[in-house]
Amino acid sequence: MKALKQTALTLACVAALGTTVQQADAANWLMLQGTEPVGTAERAYVWGFLQPTYTQTDGTPLPAGTPFAGRDAVFNTIVPDQKSDSQFQILRAQVGVRGQNLPLDSNINYFFLAEFGNNGVTTNGGGAARVVDASITLNHIPGARVRAGLFKTPTAEEGLQAIHVFDYINFTNVTDQMLLERFFDRDGVPACTTATSGTAETCANRPNGPVGAFRDIGVQVFNAFTFGSFELSYAAMLGNGNGINRGDNNGSMDKYYYLSGEYVFGGNGARREGLKFFAWQQDGKRTLITGGTGTQSSVGGTAGTEADYDRTRSGLGLTFRKSKFRAAAEYIKADGMIFDGTDGGAVAGVSNIAGTTFATFNIVPVDKADGYYADFGYLVLPKLELDLRYDSLNRRTDVAANERQFTTTTVGVQYFFNPKTRATLNYELRNAEAPNLPATNPANLVLDATDNRISLQLTAIF
Amino acid sequence: MIKWLGALLVAATLSLGVAMPTFAVEKEKKIVLQISDGGEEKQTLVLNVANNLQKHYGLDNVKLEIVAFGPGLRLLFKDNVNKGRIDSLVKSGVQFSACQNTVDGMAKTLGYKPALNSQAVPVQAGISRIIDLTEQGYTLVRP
Repeated sequence: MKALKQTALTLACVAALGTTVQQADAANWLMLQGTEPVGTAERAYVWGFLQPTYTQTDGTPLPAGTPFAGRDAVFNTIVPDQKSDSQFQILRAQVGVRGQNLPLDSNINYFFLAEFGNNGVTTNGGGAARVVDASITLNHIPGARVRAGLFKTPTAEEGLQAIHVFDYINFTNVTDQMLLERFFDRDGVPACTTATSGTAETCANRPNGPVGAFRDIGVQVFNAFTFGSFELSYAAMLGNGNGINRGDNNGSMDKYYYLSGEYVFGGNGARREGLKFFAWQQDGKRTLITGGTGTQSSVGGTAGTEADYDRTRSGLGLTFRKSKFRAAAEYIKADGMIFDGTDGGAVAGVSNIAGTTFATFNIVPVDKADGYYADFGYLVLPKLELDLRYDSLNRRTDVAANERQFTTTTVGVQYFFNPKTRATLNYELRNAEAPNLPATNPANLVLDATDNRISLQLTAIF
Repeated sequence: MIKWLGALLVAATLSLGVAMPTFAVEKEKKIVLQISDGGEEKQTLVLNVANNLQKHYGLDNVKLEIVAFGPGLRLLFKDNVNKGRIDSLVKSGVQFSACQNTVDGMAKTLGYKPALNSQAVPVQAGISRIIDLTEQGYTLVRP
């Protein structure tokens, strides 16, 4: 990854000096989201999309022989509410405006987007709506566009791509757990007890705000260059490392590096045909209190030690789209700040059978994880696409006994009523296990309770 | 008698020979397309119309000029996303005229003159160019 960094920075420097290669039109995620077409962009183009969604599992409870036996298994509840095993919801409802504030000046463009749906962006930290994109791009320097504000970070394909053209309803395990960052004040260990702390809510160690949504507030230098049918793109970004709704809290900025090369077969926009290879890395630090037994909100007020921990994510992968066929694959590594689910697989804030402790969210500051996915789609009829995805996550790989493996095979169907309206049906065959522990170990008993999941979603883009 | 019939045939042939070319020659169409709106859809529409006219009448049978003024001048900005199509139309004989009054107005707003497509032919006033062309027999179309 050092090589990637050097390459990206070298490209940025070369580009800043003013190369003579042709700049690409807006035809990849960096360009589609960060630029506007020259000479045609509007002053304010209003757009958005709606995604009403239904999700269901069997609702299998936590099994006998585990600390929270009989309670809801958190992985069988429907996010973000985690109160039921079946739910209708408006998973996403986003409205935005983008364009060139002065249409005559194609050197400056902006992008604004707000989320009104029911998801991790809007359910933590209060508020029913949140701004998820607010950025300005300056295109004055040949080869080095500068984007500042709140926007998607140049990282994994699943997060960077426009979510309204995502071919599935739920993210892969590795993206959900390692990249869709939850921010915590405390690590959640040891579990909060009724004797020391009191209420379920104060013990739950819930995230201290919305999920990161694959976004950050900062500044990015980026561009894309075409050489015939080949397109080379780069991005380097500096951000708070605190997601969509916070400033920096530890004097340490996150650094992002991204490089991609694509052979373009044809077309344009989100479903352009081509073969793309990409690699990326994110380096940052997170502040966390460990070993405390107090409440979530009183940071530093109770026992525990506050420190900064490294958080690194990196990945490489490819995407392919040609005619009726598409495919994607990516391998992702995580080092530090490993999300570790909840105690005993219970919903955070629920007490154990003995009534002595509450389940908390946990995050492990020093450990590792890795995962991957492979995804295929085939347009069997002009309006009907069949999808198949396999993904895997190995969580906490430093110590064998702590390792957990999550694998999911997703079978999907997409029916396109028209190019901007579709129905998506997903059935996920989900498995989880502690591979280095006996089958009778409570950890495996808990994970065995993982249900398959079915989801149906309508997407309308306007 | 035979001589008389032969003379008649020659006369008939000559008269046909003179008359037939007048049926074979198509009258050249002269069309000026106005673009004074800046949106992407309007730009695409104007270029599509130019293409369709050439296809319908044939390249040699239609003389086309596209006059851009007001917000429509953005079509002729140097890096406009349609520059490839513009190049193609220029090669097939279409003239793109850029209103200099609009350029001057934009320069006042921007603080500098916008860079234009090198294929654009400057005209002092887009609207007067259109009037001049119509007086020369051009048909004005504003898609």
